[in-house]
Amino acid sequence: MEPEQNSSAPTECENCNRAPKWRTDFPIDWEGDHYVSRREMVKFLTLGSVLLAAANWVTALAGKFLRTGRFPEKLVGSVAALDSQRSILFRYPTDRDPCIAVRTPEGTLVAYSQVCTHLSCAVVYSTSDNKLLCPCHNGSFSVIEGAPIGGPPTRRLPRIAIEKRGDQLFATGVEV
Amino acid sequence: MSIRSQGTTLFTAILILVATTVVVQLWLLTVSMEALLAHETKTLIPAAVGSTVLLFINAGLLRYVFRFDHEVQRGPQE
Repeated sequence: MEPEQNSSAPTECENCNRAPKWRTDFPIDWEGDHYVSRREMVKFLTLGSVLLAAANWVTALAGKFLRTGRFPEKLVGSVAALDSQRSILFRYPTDRDPCIAVRTPEGTLVAYSQVCTHLSCAVVYSTSDNKLLCPCHNGSFSVIEGAPIGGPPTRRLPRIAIEKRGDQLFATGVEV
Repeated sequence: MSIRSQGTTLFTAILILVATTVVVQLWLLTVSMEALLAHETKTLIPAAVGSTVLLFINAGLLRYVFRFDHEVQRGPQE
């Protein structure tokens, strides 16, 4: 005769079906974890994409609207002084912006910012070479267009619009 | 191969694509900022348009991810 089994004791089958303790603490398997983390990362990066596109448009609008302000008119000097000295220095549009006006050998009147586009040294006019020179690193600019023609500068000098009224010269704007 | 593990592989590929376009957008923003500071305003609008095109590509990929995830949530249909 077989011994009577205790019905209240847990059977072997119940132990098999019960999930282990660690399973309740870590209920998500690796596959599910990778699936969700990649999906969430795509969402996060797309949100970053929205922000970057918005920042790009803010930059574009800033470039369009921040430069539309009118420049003041400012006296540069007399035509006689420019003709005798070939170049005169002035400040425009503010007193912290040095500029240079030049009368070329062909008689053209041009004016540029005096700040070198390389490392912001002050450019000067060389009458012998007929170009604007930066003494810091031997950079040179065309006196006709302000474009870099030698040395380290790669960007042209901002041009200053000049108007001649009688014997006086006036700066009226900056062309960047 | 379960549909979820297929989704993991698919999402990994999409993630690489989206990350690449975001890096390109970051480069466009850097170029735009540099152009703005150099007063070169001609490149700003094209850069912004390019960044928006990349955003639409990313949005399309994210929409695909959502639709695929919706299919996974519903489970396999007979």
